[in-house]
Amino acid sequence: MGADIVTVSTDTQFTHLAWQRSEKELANVKYTMGADPTGTISRMFGVYNEDNGLDLRGTFLISPEGKLMGMEMNFYNLGRNIDELMRKFKANIYMMKKGGNEVCPSKWKDEGDKTLVNPGAKMVGKVHEALQGS
Amino acid sequence: MAETMTTGGLRLGQRVPDFELTTYEPTKGDFGKFSLKDQVANKRWTILFFYPADFTFV
Repeated sequence: MGADIVTVSTDTQFTHLAWQRSEKELANVKYTMGADPTGTISRMFGVYNEDNGLDLRGTFLISPEGKLMGMEMNFYNLGRNIDELMRKFKANIYMMKKGGNEVCPSKWKDEGDKTLVNPGAKMVGKVHEALQGS
Repeated sequence: MAETMTTGGLRLGQRVPDFELTTYEPTKGDFGKFSLKDQVANKRWTILFFYPADFTFV
């Protein structure tokens, strides 16, 4: 869908290979698996845990211009919701396509859902009405 | 719009400094390289998905 997903941990590429080949749950994985054994890239994104050398569960969305468009970080015991990641991704693509004149509110899920068009002074205090209107 | 949220010095809406990662490519069964510069050159979105460790329960 127009994005490259790269999974990253502080394991080496050799460990990635061994894990992907031995774990049946990963038999159909197609994502690029990035190796960051020195933690350099993980530190750059602020997900490196100096206490144990492991990465926190961080997700980062980078645009085709190389700009950071979204980030989410969870501590170890909470898994991420892939639907929310895809929602953010789709919303970013949609807004870019619209050239900055539309914004996607919290309940926006997919193209065709209600957006706010040309948000400005007229909409201040009137977001409810704007969301109700067609 | 003020974007003050930071993580490791990176800021939302700002360019991410170029970086490279050695990779394992499951589809090719081979090692490779990821570079943000290449992604920008190819006009591709990137989703970076950090996790603690291989052989755990992600």
